[in-house]
Amino acid sequence: MTAFRLASRTIRRYRAQTGLAVAGVAVIGALLFDMLLLSRGLLLSFGDLLDRAGFDVRVSGGGGMSLRLPIPDSSSLVAAIRALPEVRRAAEIRIQTAILRTRVGRPVGITLVGADGANEGGWTIVAGTDLTALPAPPPRCPLIVGRPLAVQLGVGPGDAVALAIEPAGTATALPSLECRIVGVAQFAFGTATDDTVATTLGAFHEAAGEVGEDEAELILVSSTREAGPMAAIEAIQRVRPGARAYSNEQVVEQFNRNGFAYFRQISLVLSSLTMAFAFLLVATLLTVSVNQRLGEIAALRAIGIGRARVAAMLLWESALLVGGGGLLAIPLGEILATGLDRILRQMPGLPEQLHFFVFEPRALAIHLVVLATTAIAAAAYPVWLATRLPIAATLRREVVG
Amino acid sequence: MRFIVAALVVGATAVGLAAEPHPILVSRQLAARAHLAVGDRVTLAVDPQGSRRAEFRVAGIYEPTPDPMRFTTARLEAQLHLPDLIDLAADPADPASRESLTALNVALVDPASARQFGVDLQARAPGTQAQRTARSQSDDPFAVLERFHVAISAVTMIGGTAFLLALMVIRAEERRETVGVLRLVGISRRTLLASVALEGVVIASLGAVFGVLLAVATEGLVNAIFQARYDTTLVFVRVTPSIALRAILVAAPLGIVAGLGASWTLLRRNILSIVRR
Amino acid sequence: MTIVDARAVSRVFPMPAGPVTALRSVSLTLSAGEHVAISGPSGCGKSTLLHLIGGVDTPTTGSIVFEQRDLSRLSEPERARIRLMRIGFVFQRFFLLPMLTAAENIELPQAEAGVAAGERRARTRELLEYVGLADRADHLPSQLSGGEMQRVAIARALSNRPALLLADEPTGELDEETSAHIADLFDRVNRDGTAILVVTHNPALASRASRRLVMTSGRVLA
Repeated sequence: MTAFRLASRTIRRYRAQTGLAVAGVAVIGALLFDMLLLSRGLLLSFGDLLDRAGFDVRVSGGGGMSLRLPIPDSSSLVAAIRALPEVRRAAEIRIQTAILRTRVGRPVGITLVGADGANEGGWTIVAGTDLTALPAPPPRCPLIVGRPLAVQLGVGPGDAVALAIEPAGTATALPSLECRIVGVAQFAFGTATDDTVATTLGAFHEAAGEVGEDEAELILVSSTREAGPMAAIEAIQRVRPGARAYSNEQVVEQFNRNGFAYFRQISLVLSSLTMAFAFLLVATLLTVSVNQRLGEIAALRAIGIGRARVAAMLLWESALLVGGGGLLAIPLGEILATGLDRILRQMPGLPEQLHFFVFEPRALAIHLVVLATTAIAAAAYPVWLATRLPIAATLRREVVG
Repeated sequence: MRFIVAALVVGATAVGLAAEPHPILVSRQLAARAHLAVGDRVTLAVDPQGSRRAEFRVAGIYEPTPDPMRFTTARLEAQLHLPDLIDLAADPADPASRESLTALNVALVDPASARQFGVDLQARAPGTQAQRTARSQSDDPFAVLERFHVAISAVTMIGGTAFLLALMVIRAEERRETVGVLRLVGISRRTLLASVALEGVVIASLGAVFGVLLAVATEGLVNAIFQARYDTTLVFVRVTPSIALRAILVAAPLGIVAGLGASWTLLRRNILSIVRR
Repeated sequence: MTIVDARAVSRVFPMPAGPVTALRSVSLTLSAGEHVAISGPSGCGKSTLLHLIGGVDTPTTGSIVFEQRDLSRLSEPERARIRLMRIGFVFQRFFLLPMLTAAENIELPQAEAGVAAGERRARTRELLEYVGLADRADHLPSQLSGGEMQRVAIARALSNRPALLLADEPTGELDEETSAHIADLFDRVNRDGTAILVVTHNPALASRASRRLVMTSGRVLA
């Protein structure tokens, strides 16, 4: 008659309270699991989006990734970067605000992206063709429109639109350019109200009236597998000392320090509160359960059953309650995470493909360790109660009471 | 308003400069970081290389209004008179640069027309973005966070309710003999349920009030931790009377119903099966 | 051979309203195989004396030597070992574990004593037959009558072949006929060599003992 068997028999005898306790642990455990997913979910999702674009180094002109200043002499820099043995490919990106006018409807402000060989991974075509698969002869100004914008304007592949660049803060009289929409795409970092439109660098230069201008906002670099991003960054800085080159990890870390800190903090606070809550609830339940069985326990001690076996029995009861609930918490947590993720993704300005709750084995491991610790800690007082109870006084009380 | 990237250079200025520098205000965080005091003279430039610089006098140090959207960012900022900022930041080669702004704050005669005003403005000036300051949109970040927290609270309540029911079942079982004897001597189920309900009202209400008091106590702790962590005066947690009332209105009935439910599972059984051990 | 030698044992319980002296300098000896009954009014200290002899409680003053070991000088784990191997307890309220079958309740002390599974099962079968419940081995306590539960409790108390059986009001919750069956069982246990010390209000049960003691106000009169 092992302590485990005694504990499982006790659990089975008190089915109603056991079932309710396990359900309670499952729900609270699901919340704990979700907070663990949230603690690094944004980082993992953001990093995944960056990696999916196929580039692992970004060169910008500004002091960080959120402020884009032009990179002077960018075309020669791109050529030099492409020649580096540590680099597999590089792409030049121009970004500018612009106005798009359809045949019918009002003009809308957009973000125009001029890309040269950068589209692989940067967007996913959902209708029409990509800039790299244009029919011959290619249109003068081919455009890829983001899906939300295409829906808003009621345009699709084949439609003609007028494009005029209007840089912020500058008065301009640039003429508009007649363009043709060749494809509709989901941009990797596109939001629900995404106003991104992509075109070739050549069309961008023409629309911007750039003759001899040589400033890109961003250079995307893909390092070779042998070299890796850090070696590529070092090589780029040898080519252009002072170049602001960042690996995807560094970009993620910068966002982690600034934009994502709130969710990390809130997940820490909520996980701590959830763990404390679970501990209190299980400890209370076990303590009340032990109080309910004091006579039984005193009789066991009286007939010679040692404290160790009584303690082991209670520890197993706690483990079964918390363990059973904890295992149920995992699928429940995944379901709950889907709902919570849907709520948080309603935040404006978030990429549609960004997620707050991302599963990683680390979160599962922490979840299991936390639950195990909770089970042991919650059983501490009931064990103390059961192993230290005055046997004679308890027996007397049971007879009288 | 114009926002520029500025390099701040603090230096002692030689006595006898011709013109008195114009005054600026600096944030408390910037003053602490750069060891500034009122009266200090500083140089502001548009880039780290010191292009287009000008000297100013620190006329005051202010506490920036907490911005929930930027609470993780160190508020290293300075406030200038608009003409001074334009003089500093405008590109001398571009006459139009003195005429462009980053943002305009508009106070409407009829605030209720803010949405339509924004739509009309964007139609007349494509490329501009008109945003209402009133937090009434469903996609406002704080409305989203509120929904998130309500969802968390609901899940916590469900878990807590399961435990509460388990505890009430145990308590009902503890009283099994008492209940059996009372039923044997003729006390009706209704009377027993009424006594359980009354007990439940007292315990649940006391528990709910205790919970609110505990929330108020931890409110200060949470705010203190986050305010120290992010060097801000923003309030992160606030237990308002409305929230306290909502908590009591949810918790108290839950406690009563849990007690009644657990007792009913005992009371509905045959008397002899209750009494027999 | 003396197996219990209690000398000048007193037990005082500190209470909020003032100390209560449950036992006043009680001396008692019990020989191997002896059957002793203790009677007396409620609150005279009978159960307290039983608990002290069984090592469940410790005296305030005096000593209790069980099989040449002074119980008051032993640690709780040592006393628990003695209760497990050398003393059997039978309670008024049976105190069977409700989630274990009759057989499992009897096996429990043997498992604690480290008896091998096969040997445990054999001994349990033997005891169930001994108490006349061989066909109720797989029944839960809730499926047994009061008398049957007490017989299982007696079998449990005998599972590790103790030298002494301590019974505290074993027929307190039983009717007259069932009490007589329990008394018969005690006779049989005693005939088979186990000493018995029973605390009881039941004159019929007390009359089966070879020696009867009466207690009042914490003292043994005779």
